[in-house]
Amino acid sequence: MKLQSPSPGRELALAWLRSALLTVLAVCIVMGVWQGLAAWFQVPVWLFPKPSDFMLRFFSDFPLLLHHALATSRTLLLGFVLGVAIAVPLALAIVSIGALERGLFPVIVFLNIMPKTVIGPILIVWFGIGPLVSVVIVFLMCFFPVLVDAMSGFRAVDPRLYYITRSMGASPSQTFWRVRLPASMTHIFAGMKIGVVKAAEGVIIAEFIASSSGLGYLIMRASGSMDMTLMFSGLIMAALVALVFNTAMSVGEAVLMPWTRRPE
Amino acid sequence: MAHNSAPTTASPTIGASIVAKGLTKVYGRGSDAFHALGPIDLDIKPGEFVSLIGPSGCGKSTTMLMVSGLEPITDGVVEVDGKPLTRPISEIGIVFQDHLLLDFRTAISNVMLQQEIRRLPRAEMKERAQALFAQLGLQGAEEKYPWQLSGGMRQRVSIARALVHDPSMLIMDEPFGALDAISRTQIRHDLEMLWLEKRKTVLFITHSIEEAVGLSDRVLVMSKSPGRIVEEIAIDLPRPRPAHLGEYPEFSVYAKRIYTIFEKLGIYKF
Ligand SMILES: Nc1ncnc2c1ncn2[C@@H]1O[C@H](COP(=O)(O)OP(=O)(O)OP(=O)(O)O)[C@@H](O)[C@H]1O
Ligand SMILES: [Mg+2]
Repeated sequence: MKLQSPSPGRELALAWLRSALLTVLAVCIVMGVWQGLAAWFQVPVWLFPKPSDFMLRFFSDFPLLLHHALATSRTLLLGFVLGVAIAVPLALAIVSIGALERGLFPVIVFLNIMPKTVIGPILIVWFGIGPLVSVVIVFLMCFFPVLVDAMSGFRAVDPRLYYITRSMGASPSQTFWRVRLPASMTHIFAGMKIGVVKAAEGVIIAEFIASSSGLGYLIMRASGSMDMTLMFSGLIMAALVALVFNTAMSVGEAVLMPWTRRPE
Repeated sequence: MAHNSAPTTASPTIGASIVAKGLTKVYGRGSDAFHALGPIDLDIKPGEFVSLIGPSGCGKSTTMLMVSGLEPITDGVVEVDGKPLTRPISEIGIVFQDHLLLDFRTAISNVMLQQEIRRLPRAEMKERAQALFAQLGLQGAEEKYPWQLSGGMRQRVSIARALVHDPSMLIMDEPFGALDAISRTQIRHDLEMLWLEKRKTVLFITHSIEEAVGLSDRVLVMSKSPGRIVEEIAIDLPRPRPAHLGEYPEFSVYAKRIYTIFEKLGIYKF
């Protein structure tokens, strides 16, 4: 009778470990080939560093990289949380109020197709160089995918599910928290996953143009002095930051939505 | 407070009466208008077990949704316990045709939604839910999600959800449709025993002549779409009724009457 699973937590951890090992293996192979080729053709470090060069740099300058990675993460987290916190309630409002849908949504669609990083220079004029500009850009990057997916999530709820809550005499807030929101969670999470990827990209670009800290800033500064190994180390750190955020999303999804943990 | 708005307590209740007059449903409007039901009249006494039987698409589900206040009524009135219906009745347990379980809740917490929304005592309700699970042969399914259950199990979970808060009225839309013939006979008996004990008012929708005759005090036979009630058959058989209804010679008389109506209406062509 029992489903063949030791415990959902362990199963999840094992699956994660397996994919992590595969990733590490793939990365090692790529790095190995790269290292071999660069050594064979004797490519100069200032043009194209070998993995051994920038990995050494990565470890020797780790405190510096970490400092900027933390700054980037703070910006990313702030912008992302802000984006989700505004997008989800707004999606609900738009879906529930017809006038908003007709009036506001076209504006939102227009804002969405507009390239967001282009607003950077304008934001600099308004807010000056600093983390605020980056937060706003991150916010804009993740706001739209979350909004759009949350809207389709709220819409996609089978209206017959409200028969259940109505026959139980549920209040609107009970219906929202116990049926509508959980029923839309898969969509909202899909939006947040896209959002976090876009945000991780946006944060670096924002820091290129308008920041005095963060990995984007560090890479830009290293570029100015043609410090190739630092740029590559920064790149790796940026990838790690993105990885951490993506993983956090997957873990959050598994924890918050245990019902989606279907065996393959 | 009106009977249909007070938070329900899980005390033993005597069934409510359901009266409908000229109940009619037209879906859509203008050129899309579709006359789905009626007019029909219903007069269900407190504690009575009434079945509605009729061909697919004749408006049975529509009837039950209007009677429970979940679908707007196009024409006519529904009175529950003598009071006109103005909002969904909450003193009710409903088994929907498509069981409508929430796929983000485990079986037991689907049932416990009743407790949460009605703010009933948790421990007591949990006990009742577990007792119902045992009674319905759902032991071991408590912590499973709907997608881990078979169609029949899902349907039984939705039956448990309809019963757990001990409502004064039960509306069941083909509740045994997804069950195999063996469980069907058993659950028919279980429902009858439960009903004998509590005497709730039951409106039971079915396609099965055997189920209708096996359970009901009265069977209402409906015509093809737009459905009307064409015949009302009082079933005068002793209770509890046996597994094999053929034991009663009267059973085949009742069954024959329903078949004859269906043949006359052109629902059966032999
Ligand atoms: N929401 C709706 N909009 C438009 N038409 C509908 C709607 N629901 C039902 N109908 C139509 O109304 C008629 C009656 O539907 P209903 O679901 O009440 O039938 P039923 O007797 O329950 O059938 P079945 O035995 O197959 O469940 C059908 O012809 C159906 O197509
Ligand atoms: Mg139906």
